[in-house]
Amino acid sequence: MKSAADLLTVVEMTRSIPCAPALLPKLLKLAEGGASDLGEMEMLIHLDTGLATDVLRTANSAYFSSNQRCENISDAILRLGSKVLYRIAASTLTGRWLVNPVRGYGWEPGDLCRHSLCVAICAETFAQKLQLADASTAYTAGLIHDLGKFALAYANFTALDEIANRVPDEFPTWREAEKVILGFESTQVTKALLENWGFPSLFLAVGEFYQNPSDCPSTERPTVTLIHAAKHLATQLGYGVGVDGFYYEPDEPALAEAGFKDEDMDAAIPEILSTIQKYISPTGQIRFA
Amino acid sequence: MVLSFHPVAEQMPTIIVGVAEFKISTEPFTYIATHALGSCLGVTFHDERRRIGGLLHAMLPTSHVHAGQKIREAMFLDTGISRALASLLKAGARKSDIRCKVFGGAQLMLTDNYFRIGSKNIDAFYKISQEMELDVVAWEVSGRVNRTIRLNNSTGDVIVKIPSKPEFVR
Repeated sequence: MKSAADLLTVVEMTRSIPCAPALLPKLLKLAEGGASDLGEMEMLIHLDTGLATDVLRTANSAYFSSNQRCENISDAILRLGSKVLYRIAASTLTGRWLVNPVRGYGWEPGDLCRHSLCVAICAETFAQKLQLADASTAYTAGLIHDLGKFALAYANFTALDEIANRVPDEFPTWREAEKVILGFESTQVTKALLENWGFPSLFLAVGEFYQNPSDCPSTERPTVTLIHAAKHLATQLGYGVGVDGFYYEPDEPALAEAGFKDEDMDAAIPEILSTIQKYISPTGQIRFA
Repeated sequence: MVLSFHPVAEQMPTIIVGVAEFKISTEPFTYIATHALGSCLGVTFHDERRRIGGLLHAMLPTSHVHAGQKIREAMFLDTGISRALASLLKAGARKSDIRCKVFGGAQLMLTDNYFRIGSKNIDAFYKISQEMELDVVAWEVSGRVNRTIRLNNSTGDVIVKIPSKPEFVR
């Protein structure tokens, strides 16, 4: 299996997965807008029953609830605010997609979802500290950065087992093994999926280049490097990291160019961890309140 | 060591330790577990005579960079290990009977300047364990694997799970 046709097959197979995160680009745009967009946001949330349920449940949770119950999406939106709402929507839509049982990366159910959430939180924190990207954009980019891997695993390619068996003895990195054994990289799959779903070009660049930001066009490189840094830091934190996790090379020149310093990243960990622990319980359950 | 089925062990309750937490148990028939260590270190403490055990999941080597700030002691090895020992002794354990095992500290591909938490943690633990004269009987550290561990408080055995591999005991 070493052709572009296989890549297309993977993308086609994942079209049938229910509730793909295709609503996200629209929601992101609305979340960046003001109160005038809340009506449209309500309409979008109503398109997805599961999402509407999650929004109402969160609005009525102990964390957000006042004395009065929220009985409709409109009230829930006002109570939660667009930022929290977007966070719930993004995680619900991608999370549902990422929790199916899959093979190939040694993931337990939900692992990719946990890991992606950690990357998103690291990216959001770095975006605020280094001003390399808008925080909501960075958060979304973190959530979707590795969708291609999920698509590959969902397609149930036995070649993934071969990769796992041949790294590191024959191939020092997972990426090199993918190139030889699959004939393409999971990043190409991510890019193709995001393209199909109509994500903006910045997200396509994240999907395609987050493993090697130095190769990314300069206009998108700051955000892509941000996700690269967030990915590696989240890997060290361990949440949802599969068998491939530690077999990727950090791109030191890109990190240095973007202004990342090791000591600054280490110093940000307590804050990042506090945020992560708001959303992921010690047993690995994802929660919003 | 290969795992074998044991009906009592199968039914033992499990206490879960999160990142930057330390938990202790004086109940012999209990597991104390922590998930996905990554580059963090999981340090188990066990007094076999009294069957008192504890597990620390520390993320970073030293609290010094956060001097003057409110910190979570168990997040750092320097403060976390002191806190763990104090709790164990308070619960009735004796330092001379406590055996430690250390896990985690996974490392990314080699870099000169970035993402070296795993190796920093291992170095820090080695130094602290020497200074505090800890009896460290097992090191399952470094490498490029994400470890989940479970301390059997009855025996002091630690069951290690790595993605795509069978469990083993240290």
